[in-house]
Amino acid sequence: MLSPTEYIADPDVVLLDPPARSGEDVVRALHARLVWGTDAVTDPPRFLQELLDRMHGGPVCLADELALPHARSAAVKRLVLGVARARDGVAFDAQHTAVKLVFLIGTPRESVTEYLRVAAALTRLLRASAARKALMAAKDEAEFRALLSAGAATVR
Amino acid sequence: MKVGPMTDPAGVLMRRLLRLLRWRVWIQEKLQPTEWQVTLLWAAVAGFFGALASILFTALTEDIYDWFGSRSLGIVDSMARLPWWARLAVPTLGGALAGTVLTFGQRLTRRQSSTDYMEAIVIGTGRLPVRASLVKTGAALFSIGSGGSIGREGPMVQLAAVLASLVGRWRKFTPPQLRLLVACGAAAGIASAYHAPIGGSFFVAEIVLGTIAMESLGPLVVSAVVATLTIRVLTAANVLYKVPAFELKSPWEMGPYILLGFVAGGLAPMFLISLKRAEQFFVSLKLPIIARLALGGLAVGAIAINVPQVCGNGYSVVVDVLNGGLVWQVMMGIFACKWLATMASFGSGAPGGVFTPSLFMGAGAGLLFGTAVQHVWPVAAQDPRAFALVGMGAFLSAASHAPVMAVIMIFEMTLSYDIILPLLLCSVIAYYTSKSLEGDSLYSEALKRKAATVPDPALSEQRVADMMRANPPVVAPGARFAEIARMFLNVRVNNLYVVDEAGKFLGVVSLHDIKPYLGEPDLAELVIARDILREDFPRAAPDQPLTEALAGFLGLTAERLPVVERDGTLRGSLAKSDLLLALIEKQKKPVAARA
Repeated sequence: MLSPTEYIADPDVVLLDPPARSGEDVVRALHARLVWGTDAVTDPPRFLQELLDRMHGGPVCLADELALPHARSAAVKRLVLGVARARDGVAFDAQHTAVKLVFLIGTPRESVTEYLRVAAALTRLLRASAARKALMAAKDEAEFRALLSAGAATVR
Repeated sequence: MKVGPMTDPAGVLMRRLLRLLRWRVWIQEKLQPTEWQVTLLWAAVAGFFGALASILFTALTEDIYDWFGSRSLGIVDSMARLPWWARLAVPTLGGALAGTVLTFGQRLTRRQSSTDYMEAIVIGTGRLPVRASLVKTGAALFSIGSGGSIGREGPMVQLAAVLASLVGRWRKFTPPQLRLLVACGAAAGIASAYHAPIGGSFFVAEIVLGTIAMESLGPLVVSAVVATLTIRVLTAANVLYKVPAFELKSPWEMGPYILLGFVAGGLAPMFLISLKRAEQFFVSLKLPIIARLALGGLAVGAIAINVPQVCGNGYSVVVDVLNGGLVWQVMMGIFACKWLATMASFGSGAPGGVFTPSLFMGAGAGLLFGTAVQHVWPVAAQDPRAFALVGMGAFLSAASHAPVMAVIMIFEMTLSYDIILPLLLCSVIAYYTSKSLEGDSLYSEALKRKAATVPDPALSEQRVADMMRANPPVVAPGARFAEIARMFLNVRVNNLYVVDEAGKFLGVVSLHDIKPYLGEPDLAELVIARDILREDFPRAAPDQPLTEALAGFLGLTAERLPVVERDGTLRGSLAKSDLLLALIEKQKKPVAARA
């Protein structure tokens, strides 16, 4: 099992400014890329359903501009992490209408605390406004990934 | 985008909750308060209340002395100063009043179960009826306060046990826990009455529980120590029997001490049988309870006309014996009269104990035996008072079938260590002698009688539902972190059960899992119970045998298992401590209840 910062330093998927009009659109796009780009998702429809159920069944937003949709699911073999940036912001719910950074986490059902470990590391990384600003300003996926990798190295 | 310290009221509240929860976890990790340690805390509370009950009962008894004499003189001297007719009248009237209280009290308590604390501990649920116990205690006040030849430690222990039972019921203890707490109350009562914390603990452990396993002895000791400490602080009491320093003056004395063991071991069963016969005699008279107790008091009064020393529990006479204040010729008369008076009081049903009268009988027998040996062979019994002290322990050991308790009790009551060698030997010999002559002890008769009426299912026959605690703390799968944190703060559990709207058990949220993230208030906004649910947590079924459920705890650090129906509905929880207490109780049965 990788450490939380290793997951953050090298996410499975990075989507920069996808054509999405809502938080659900972003989640669906990330899900599709994870299914297409990794072999970790064993049951794609089920994983998507569980992601959406969790999204509608409880909070997934951290402050105004950051969302961490997630699901503990039997449909993934290992922890998967997909990151999306939406420069114009997308609405996840009535309180969070302009979310700009989305970190989608899927963990196997039996991994109870893995999601907490990664989410905790992410909140520590994104607590610094400089890190958030740099990610928003990244020109391409390579720069975005490099920023994540550098940021992850600074997180405990 | 703003991710950082929360300043809104909800955020501030969340931070405070998490800080409190971090403290709770820190305290738990540093102090590790397990369910056993919490039991110790309540044992201490039971000890404190037990001491207060003893002080109250003593004060009320002495108030009654003031009606016809003086509390400063004590019962024997108060009676000695009365004219002959008053010596006859006071115990008679006291018996009648005690009978009146019992008669009218029965109307109030008709539906209540047995008040016997031993029964409540050994075979009952631990629930002692309050009204019935108060009626019995009220009656005991009159029978004891008026000079009945019976000990006041019985009602003191009863009262202390009732208070412990009330505390346990208030805290919604399970039957095994409640029984243990009532046992703690009883230990506190004995410790308060005799200023003997170790003796009090061993009295209950050896006689009532029949085990000295630390799971039960630990709480008993805590309760007894707190009770003794409370008595010392509030009443400035210290050693009960102040005696000169006794010692083994010659190895030759061991021979007579061994003989004394046989004598005490033979006398104690006779004493117990005589009490039983007296009881049968009074019952055969078929008198109303008021008349029966008055008759018992009349008999004591008639003896007290010439021998007022028979009144009360015999404490002051024993002090005189141990300090050389009584010559053997006088003691011989008092000994015989006290025996008869105790038969009259006990046989008539006067509520009270026979523990202190047993000490009296032992002291008397020991003094008379020591004096006889001294006349025949002076070097083998240089101080008959030492024989009186050893006789107390031997008689108590033989009557109670609890030699360890007897030795400790005598040592604590007198703080006379130098006599420990003959005391130990004599008590053990008396125990074996008594046991070979008579199977029943002072206490086993009542326990055996009660046990015969109650089925005693083996642990393998008992089901989880019999020992289950209802209404465990639960949260919904969508419960926010703040609610989870609040629940962990309010209830002292390490796992919260998660149930859906239909009451179906989904899993547990473990404090251990969230502990590393309590310093992350931002994260708390995200997490709901479902995210951190452990679905694979072991569980028990209500109809599962307890032995099987015990296996569920193997390799598990959790203190409780959720009890879940076959259809998934959560019914309650099963505590490991309850299960272990039940196991210990099963081990004790052959000793106490089936003896």
